[in-house]
Amino acid sequence: MSAADAKAKVPSSIWRARLRLASRSLSENWGLFVRTRIGLIGLAIIGLYALLAVAHPILMNTVWEPRIYDPVVGYAFDATQQPAPPSVKHPLGTDPLGRDILSQLMFSARSEFLLGLLAATVTVVIGTAVGAVAAYFGGWVDTLLMRLADIMIMMPAISVLIVLSALIGVEHLELALIIGILSGFGATGVVLKSQALSVVVKPYIDAAKSAGGGHFHIILVHVVPNLLPLSFLYMMFTVTSAIFSEAVLSFLGLLDVRMSWGLMIHTTESAGYLLQVTEFWWLIFPASLSITLLCSAFYLVGRSLDEVVNPRLRSR
Amino acid sequence: MTKDPVLVVDDLKMHYVTQAGLVRAVDGVSFLVRRGQSLGIVGESGCGKSSIAMTLLKLLPDNARLVSGSISLNGVDLVPLSEDEMRSHRWTRISMVFQAAMNSLDPVYRVGDQIVEALEAHYPSAGHDSMERVRELFDLVRLDPSYILRYPHEYSGGMRQRAIIAMALACEPDIIIADEPTTALDVIVQDHILREMQTIQRSLDMSMIYISHDMAVIAEVCDVVGVMYAGKLVEFGPTAEVYARPIHPYTRALMSAFPSVRGEKHDLATLPGEPPNLLDPPSGCAFHPRCAYATDDCRTAVPPIVERGDHWAVCWNPYGE
Amino acid sequence: MAKYLLKRSAQILATLFVFLSLVFFIVNAQPGDVSNFYALNPDVPPETRERLQDLFGVNEPLWKQYIVHIRNTFTGNFGISFSHYPRSVADVIMERLPRTVVLFMTATALSFYLGFALGKVVAWRRGGWFEYTSTVSGVTLYTVFTPWFGLMMIWLFAFKAGWLPIGKFLDPVLWRDAPVDANSVFTRMILTAFVVSIVVFGVFVVTAQRRMGRARLMRIVSIALASLVVVAVWIASGTAVFAWDILRHMVLPVVTLTLISFAGTMLLTRNSMLETMREDFVMAARAKGLPERDVRDKHVARNALLPVVTSFIFSLAFAVDGGVITESIFSWPGMGQTLVSATLTEDLPLAVGAFVFVGVFVLIAHLVADILYAYLDPRIRY
Repeated sequence: MSAADAKAKVPSSIWRARLRLASRSLSENWGLFVRTRIGLIGLAIIGLYALLAVAHPILMNTVWEPRIYDPVVGYAFDATQQPAPPSVKHPLGTDPLGRDILSQLMFSARSEFLLGLLAATVTVVIGTAVGAVAAYFGGWVDTLLMRLADIMIMMPAISVLIVLSALIGVEHLELALIIGILSGFGATGVVLKSQALSVVVKPYIDAAKSAGGGHFHIILVHVVPNLLPLSFLYMMFTVTSAIFSEAVLSFLGLLDVRMSWGLMIHTTESAGYLLQVTEFWWLIFPASLSITLLCSAFYLVGRSLDEVVNPRLRSR
Repeated sequence: MTKDPVLVVDDLKMHYVTQAGLVRAVDGVSFLVRRGQSLGIVGESGCGKSSIAMTLLKLLPDNARLVSGSISLNGVDLVPLSEDEMRSHRWTRISMVFQAAMNSLDPVYRVGDQIVEALEAHYPSAGHDSMERVRELFDLVRLDPSYILRYPHEYSGGMRQRAIIAMALACEPDIIIADEPTTALDVIVQDHILREMQTIQRSLDMSMIYISHDMAVIAEVCDVVGVMYAGKLVEFGPTAEVYARPIHPYTRALMSAFPSVRGEKHDLATLPGEPPNLLDPPSGCAFHPRCAYATDDCRTAVPPIVERGDHWAVCWNPYGE
Repeated sequence: MAKYLLKRSAQILATLFVFLSLVFFIVNAQPGDVSNFYALNPDVPPETRERLQDLFGVNEPLWKQYIVHIRNTFTGNFGISFSHYPRSVADVIMERLPRTVVLFMTATALSFYLGFALGKVVAWRRGGWFEYTSTVSGVTLYTVFTPWFGLMMIWLFAFKAGWLPIGKFLDPVLWRDAPVDANSVFTRMILTAFVVSIVVFGVFVVTAQRRMGRARLMRIVSIALASLVVVAVWIASGTAVFAWDILRHMVLPVVTLTLISFAGTMLLTRNSMLETMREDFVMAARAKGLPERDVRDKHVARNALLPVVTSFIFSLAFAVDGGVITESIFSWPGMGQTLVSATLTEDLPLAVGAFVFVGVFVLIAHLVADILYAYLDPRIRY
């Protein structure tokens, strides 16, 4: 075997070993996760809504006529009055503007997922970078990032969003970015930094340094992978807060979105059906319950991940 | 002259139930401590030493099971006692000196108040006398009384250990268990504290159990010594006897792993291998995988007891036969 | 400790400046200047407009405007509200701030007490049915869509049962011929609450040195006595019926806020307790033969309290922020509702003023948290 062959072989075997380790710890952690039960409930709910989100475009292209079922501009010509109670053609009835509630619900599910994932990704990418860099370099870099985090933590997020929505038009993308920046440079960054601190004092970091590894190589290869479990956990919590903020803002009528669960309740409110809970239940419950369920689902998954990732909480 | 026994432990078994299986942390331990006597329990970490201490006080985590045996303290068996009954025995009859390095003092209360708390839990009507008692105790362990009203974080390591000793003495127990009492301290402080503990013990005619991995500490302060391996006592006897003529190869290995100041010079030997996994201890004599003298008997059958007066060991190939 | 607090104060002051600058630049990034907003309002006469232009210094260079903005903030001069013309922004805020503060202090204190008491028990009896039910119901309430939950509360207790008013701060029919105005009654209520809490605190401090049983008796007797005196004084003054009206309007928002937020404290207490229970001093406390209750309350809970208190103050700060939602649902005329309605009606001066106040409130809460933390943890105190 030539030297070049050996060189090529080493990294691949290292990666194979890493993969094996990862898959083993994954199956171990999965066992712990399953034992918490509540995490599984959360996963089931998320799965259900994911299914709804995926099914919507399919239904729109096959059985649902866009003229009637479009979540924003559709109109249920077949109903005698609007809002119409649930029927075979409209399983969850129609809203005061004659639009199909189920279609709105399913259409919104997709955008909630996109919003949540986007906000969570922005948060975690920023938070991990901030945490790893602050812990690894220390000194003034650390001080600067942590003071910035203090400011971010002290920001009243919902008020910021409200004021911003008045000044600049806020849509899903902006919302995700603002939430991601506030949380990534703020609380999530701080938590990930404290985790990173316990990593950077490990002997293998010193070993990597003396072996001549560059700063960013070490951060990327040795520090960041150790932060991933915790990052993943904080992704779950960010999804919850993103979906919640979106629902609140569009409920207050402050967001420029085409359709969302919060907006559905806003429509109900502006049409004056808000207190007719039993008479027009389909205007209130589907959207409200969806927001609650999806938020709790991500939160529950986060909680049970916490029990898995955080060794101090593991039952003996 | 032999005094009355204070603590008689007979065939004590305590197991942990874990996901991986049963951990036999204490596996049939028997010994006896007389009034005024000090017993040392020595062994590597992970052989069940600290589990014995926690079992004697019945301070066990939820997954621990006291399987069998008896702990007779002044003739009262602690094993069947309820948690409430046990509580009245703790500290008044049997107390404990924790490791200084551990946070066994609550950081948010003054040290004096923490001692008063123990006193008031057992003598609710003591009132102002308890503060007087704290002063006495501080005097006894040579701590400046001005530190009574200070917080633990204001103490140095040695002072903290003295405070912990004072706390253990508070209710004048019959027996004190000291779990690695000086491990975290530097050698000079360690020596001072050990000597003072010994003086106090003698003047109050108390019994002590020292638990340590350090043969030198045990040699200095104990009358009797028990060597533990894999949850069992493998050798037991008067300290001088055990140190001069060890029977079990493990005891000899432990001794040669520590330098002796007074004894003859020898090369420091390291004991190969690690203590056995208590989930699945080796068959026969648990020490056989690491033993240089292991035979087929050691691998398959439980070794017999070898007795030489009040010095005994369990071994197939006793040293010095 | 003085040094630590000084350092934190400096940090918080710096944060305040960053915050104010941010507000300034966001507002300035808008097309036109502030006076344009007034120009659109036919109610505002041209002279006022010019006066306002002077006030905000819109014709000056940017850096001067910035200094004017910071100065105006510190002197509470936010201009004239557009939707409440001719009242000044400061006037509107001064009326609404106490309403918000009282509502959220009450709700946060209740939810903290409930959450801490439950979290303590849940951590101690881990894995039982109690943990399961309280965690599930707590998390459900914690993640419930707040407007919906508030709505259901209104529907159930106010709309259907009719026990409580549907929303708002007071009942206009009752107050039409009232000899007093709402703000003065409310101010007196706050004063009363303040005096009572000082008395209660004093009683607790005095009895802290006594034995458990007697201390409890003394506390109950003196608190009962104090409440009796308060009720008597209010009835004697003849305004009790109005104070009662405001209290009745507070019940639903307070209960709703408490229910949706106690789970946060509960879960945090639980985790903090579980971590503290592994400490050696807990084992030592047990070894000392202390009753389980003392081990739990005096040692574990007392140490577990530290992170919970910090989060309590933070949540107090953010309650005002998150309270935007509750206030809107219950039409409670506080800062949050003011912010939302100012935003919806494009009343920029009021929106900015309300926003700055929410921010300042959050910062003050952080400072209080630091002081409290230093008091509770002797390791920081010295």
